[in-house]
Amino acid sequence: MTAVGAGAPPGPGAAIPEVPASAWEQALRELSEAGFDCLDFLTAVDRGHCRQVIARIRRSADWQAAMVSTQVAAAAPVLASATGVFPGASWHERETAEMFGIEFEGLADSRPLLLRAQPAKPPLLRGEFLPARVARPWPGAAEPEVGADGRRAGNPSRRRQRPLGVPDEPAQGRP
Amino acid sequence: MMTPEPAHGAIGLDPQACTSCMLCVRECPTWCIELGSHTEEVSDPGARRPRTVNVLDSFAIDYGLCMYCGICIEVCPFDALAWSPDAADPTADPGGLVLGIDQLRGWFATPSDS
Ligand code: SF4
Ligand code: SF4
Repeated sequence: MTAVGAGAPPGPGAAIPEVPASAWEQALRELSEAGFDCLDFLTAVDRGHCRQVIARIRRSADWQAAMVSTQVAAAAPVLASATGVFPGASWHERETAEMFGIEFEGLADSRPLLLRAQPAKPPLLRGEFLPARVARPWPGAAEPEVGADGRRAGNPSRRRQRPLGVPDEPAQGRP
Repeated sequence: MMTPEPAHGAIGLDPQACTSCMLCVRECPTWCIELGSHTEEVSDPGARRPRTVNVLDSFAIDYGLCMYCGICIEVCPFDALAWSPDAADPTADPGGLVLGIDQLRGWFATPSDS
């Protein structure tokens, strides 16, 4: 395999090199052998049909960063644990497991990390509403001198702004 | 161990450059920026009508919620926000990580190179 993303640090919007899920551990091992010895982070993104798992690894010699990603099917989100290569991946995998519902095979520590109780569905999947988003007022609603009717002084046609991804009717956000 | 550069320790604000446009507040994924402002009329010499300008009253970032994504810095059209290599001091006080203009202004004076 060619060095995944070794060299230039991937900037915003840069495509992250992808390997098949079956080659995930091997890809991480090759990076580690190439001097990328420091796991920066590991996380996931819900892509709908699949969940993308992303790792960023740095080389402590010069702090160059490499990124690598893989996809697991949403219907069977299982992936080999990175802890065999980077023991520090344990924390990130525990978080990714509880937030995105991904099972890491070989992860020795499966204690919950951030959530007191695991909700029925992992909270960071796109279809889930975050209750705190419904309960808490959005700071972005503030306007200079907004009237009591929610319209801006001096520009009565302007409607009050709404936060992205939060349902208009609070009740819709409740599971 | 050397600190990886560029250091993203905290976010500094230049209150003079901020126009209270609310873009950063609305784009922040964790809703951790709170901004207060009001409008004032300014009469320019020679202008027929006074202009309305936003005046910044308060600006606070809750570093207990901030995830250092930098989106606020990216979206600010007026370069009023910048990374600082300094970091927010730890505190045992609940709410002690909500830092206002005085603190954020100090961090703008020492922006990191990115
Ligand atoms: S860095 Fe991200 S989380 Fe922190 S204040 Fe800016 S937009 Fe919000
Ligand atoms: S985006 Fe910039 S100018 Fe607009 S409110 Fe935020 S800091 Fe101020």
